[in-house]
Amino acid sequence: MKVCVLYSGGKDSNLALLKVSRVFNVVCLVTLIPRSEECYLFHYPAVDLVELQAKALELPLVKELTPDEEKGGLVALKNVLMKAKKIYGVEGVVTGAIRSIYQASRFQKICWDLDLWCFNPLWLKDEISLLREMLAEGFKVVFTRVAGYPLKKSLVGSFLDENIVRFLEKIRQYVNPSGEGGEYETFVLDMPLFKKKIELLEYEVIGSDYDATLVVKKVRLVGK
Amino acid sequence: MILLVSTCKYMLSEEEFVEPVAAIVREIGYRYSVRKYYEKINFSKFEKVIICGTALKDFDYLKYLDNFKPLLDYSGKVLGICAGYHILAKIHGASLSSIEKIGVHEVKVVKENPLVPRGSIQAYFLHTLALTEANNVIEPLAFHDNEICLFKVRKKDFYGVAFHPEVLNKNIIIRFIEL
Repeated sequence: MKVCVLYSGGKDSNLALLKVSRVFNVVCLVTLIPRSEECYLFHYPAVDLVELQAKALELPLVKELTPDEEKGGLVALKNVLMKAKKIYGVEGVVTGAIRSIYQASRFQKICWDLDLWCFNPLWLKDEISLLREMLAEGFKVVFTRVAGYPLKKSLVGSFLDENIVRFLEKIRQYVNPSGEGGEYETFVLDMPLFKKKIELLEYEVIGSDYDATLVVKKVRLVGK
Repeated sequence: MILLVSTCKYMLSEEEFVEPVAAIVREIGYRYSVRKYYEKINFSKFEKVIICGTALKDFDYLKYLDNFKPLLDYSGKVLGICAGYHILAKIHGASLSSIEKIGVHEVKVVKENPLVPRGSIQAYFLHTLALTEANNVIEPLAFHDNEICLFKVRKKDFYGVAFHPEVLNKNIIIRFIEL
């Protein structure tokens, strides 16, 4: 089956991509670019760098700008999936949804309306186990944003490792360990499907504890 | 031993519809085995059977209803989730209607039953087929609008649930396993 992956550039959409690539033919990535961080259907701000990830993956990227409000976001999603269906003959859509019923039900509805299969290979999985799976698969994940107590500014720019997984496990009663509610955002610099890896050359962390963002200034693709 | 039946045409869908149910079974310390809808299964080897759901676009399992007819003589307990509800309804002679329901809806439990107390619950739906009418074998236990969301097969411990209890109503699965 020819599928596309709803791709934010973050850890979950990359793990979903890795899983689906083992059973189906991934023909393109699909991404929506929110006009602002108020948009709660799709991740921001690392999405600007998704094009570089698509190059690293050697996969075409189908993208669409999405307005902030929900209705406009859903129209944009429908449009971008129609484009992927028309250009690449996509028959199914893969998402990295884990527990967000809000996201999952909207994706399911749009796929049904467009006569597309919908696959959510991370659905209801234990978030901490997923983080460990990413580490075991050799993912290099950088934290690009924190947005809430008790996530400090120092986490931004850090790379996911076992210590951070343990920390997220410890605070799971306060923070969804996957960050699916927007508590934190990530960006994947490398994973097994990347033909080249991304190197962060210059960046700045702006903001304060509980509300900080990674501003990437210079990146490049390098051989693995 | 509990039998989980996968109704998924594609293995990737099992991650979404079988594995979450298996995780609940593991969590409460029971052993289970997973079989596919297109296999001939000897149900009598198992104390309980859970027939799991599948993707919205997946109706392949409806071509294999004969594989489930041995359940008519099965004396154990069965829980059919979504596709499993469809299978239980069909093998007991009921007709499914086209009803698209995706997302969270309120379910009114109108009859006493061992799986969920009477009253209202929120449940996650993902289906395009459901029952609106019972026959003399199907006993409705819960509704959303005119849809039968939970039913019992009379004189059997067979239950069909139209929504996905593994998402918001894990207790339904736990109570079934502990019946």
